[in-house]
Amino acid sequence: MTSVIEVKNVTRLFGTEETMVTAVDHVSFNIEKGEFTAIIGPSGSGKTTLLHLIGGLDNPSSGIVELSGTNIADMTGSELSDFRRDHIGFVFQSYNLIPVLSAEENIEYIMLLQGIPANERKKRVRDMLYTVGLEGLGDRRPSHLSGGQQQRVAVARAMASKPDIILADEPTANLDSKTGISLIEVMKDLNQTQDMTFVFSTHDEKIMDRASRLIHLHDGKIAEDEYK
Amino acid sequence: MLIGFSLTALIITDGMILGTVKVMVGGVTQTLAGEAQVHRRGFLDSFDVDLFIEEPGPIYKIIDEDSAVSGYAPRIMVGGMIASTYNVSGGMIYGVDAAKEIGVSRIKDAIIEGSYLSGVDREILIGKPMAEILEVELGDRIVLTASEIETGEIAQELFRVSGIFEFGPKEMDENIAFINLDKAKEFLVMGDKIHQIVIQFVDPEDAKNRELPLLRALNTDEVEALGWLDFNPSLGAMLEMMNYSTLIVGIILFFLASLGVINSMFMSIYERIYELGVAKAIGTRPIDIAKLVLSEALLIAIFSCIMGAALGFALSSYYAEHGLPMGKMEVAGVVLDGNLYTVVALNQFINFPIYVILLTVIAAIYPAIFAARIVPSEALQRSL
Repeated sequence: MTSVIEVKNVTRLFGTEETMVTAVDHVSFNIEKGEFTAIIGPSGSGKTTLLHLIGGLDNPSSGIVELSGTNIADMTGSELSDFRRDHIGFVFQSYNLIPVLSAEENIEYIMLLQGIPANERKKRVRDMLYTVGLEGLGDRRPSHLSGGQQQRVAVARAMASKPDIILADEPTANLDSKTGISLIEVMKDLNQTQDMTFVFSTHDEKIMDRASRLIHLHDGKIAEDEYK
Repeated sequence: MLIGFSLTALIITDGMILGTVKVMVGGVTQTLAGEAQVHRRGFLDSFDVDLFIEEPGPIYKIIDEDSAVSGYAPRIMVGGMIASTYNVSGGMIYGVDAAKEIGVSRIKDAIIEGSYLSGVDREILIGKPMAEILEVELGDRIVLTASEIETGEIAQELFRVSGIFEFGPKEMDENIAFINLDKAKEFLVMGDKIHQIVIQFVDPEDAKNRELPLLRALNTDEVEALGWLDFNPSLGAMLEMMNYSTLIVGIILFFLASLGVINSMFMSIYERIYELGVAKAIGTRPIDIAKLVLSEALLIAIFSCIMGAALGFALSSYYAEHGLPMGKMEVAGVVLDGNLYTVVALNQFINFPIYVILLTVIAAIYPAIFAARIVPSEALQRSL
């Protein structure tokens, strides 16, 4: 299989010399195309930091993160932005939709950044809304959508750019368990039908059950790497 | 708001300065000195009575034929002694053409007692302070003593106070007396000779033009014709200084406004740092984030300028019509009495807003760079 992500002996330190905290400690693993991987662990174990490092939102203190064979440390700010835009989809814990834009416009925004023609954008928006089960709600603003619906829009936005991988930081943390499971089912379905690679962090056991691989983090180190 | 108010303040400040300039220039050129003067070269340096214009006729002809001139008046000017029964004072005696002076000076308007020159033989107009020094009233006798031209013989003539004037500046009112031109010619044995011709233009701006055809035509080896900027260079320098004061006020206002812009933009960035972090995370380039901040600053500036210019226009127009109460004050020998009328000029609503918009966008560059450099992972953690 093809490695979409290669994390090689990555460490991330925060703070000054006296107050140094090791958020991620010499972590190495690969993510293959089509995986549905959950990074799990208690609060403060380094899940979010690791996702940020994988997504190029942060740089490691040491070690290498390669996305589709490219070392993100070698990229300039603009190159990294372009790379994130074209190769990575993000889903955040608190949805982070742009409040003044409708659901359709939120999904369309990233394609606008990519310079995709209007017709193609509109078609993809319709497809994405259908895929995440929000057909007919595209003209609503985030404030008129439930938490679960907003997170579906966020998933649709992450998919809209046709990325190599979608990174989701505790996507169900702000949802009730039923809605959370429903969202994970949508993600799982996309993974299986469209061969989309997902890496998400969670500490919800019901969500973990749906993952095909669990990377257990503890104090910034991989305690266990479990394939199911 | 701060940007808009700064623009309003600048428009009003500039309007006040232009209003002051107008009064000052008008005070000098309309009161007595005229917008341009013709005299023998060197006369202005010494006021030597022997530096007269021998044959003014050809000069009158040139001036008469020039459509840019609204009026002119010949004068004789001589330093002399002015004595009453009770006291003596020194001063400058002006021989003036009463009819022509009406078109070039405000002597007639300045009369507060008695009447303006009517051509009667021994009329004399003196200032109120001089009347107080000489302890004379209307109808009282005054004796003028001066040197005849060329011979230098002392000449004396008796006059009766026919009018008392008050221009405002004490220096003028205390040291000037006006008699009829023909009487002055006779008194000083001048024939047709004169010392000065004062000119007013249809367009006052012509007086500032050193290359004006009329002035060039009148300038000869013996005679010089000068606009007020040249015969009163101190006023020109003062006006230039006042222009700088607009610049200084503008710089201070916009320095303060710029600090406000920087502060507002930073507040706006900090309020939305999570959203900006998300925008960067999903692929918005740093330069696009910077453009976003600059665009916002541009929109704020445009909106503020529309509001500020509207308010500035309303206030400046109001004060242009009703005047800004300033009290009585004297600047460079010109009395600003009562209200100062602002001047509304087109450039205040074109140039100033452009400067404001440019400066606002420049002030927003630093916040824009800051926003562009936001690290997404740090921004995303701020509110999580």
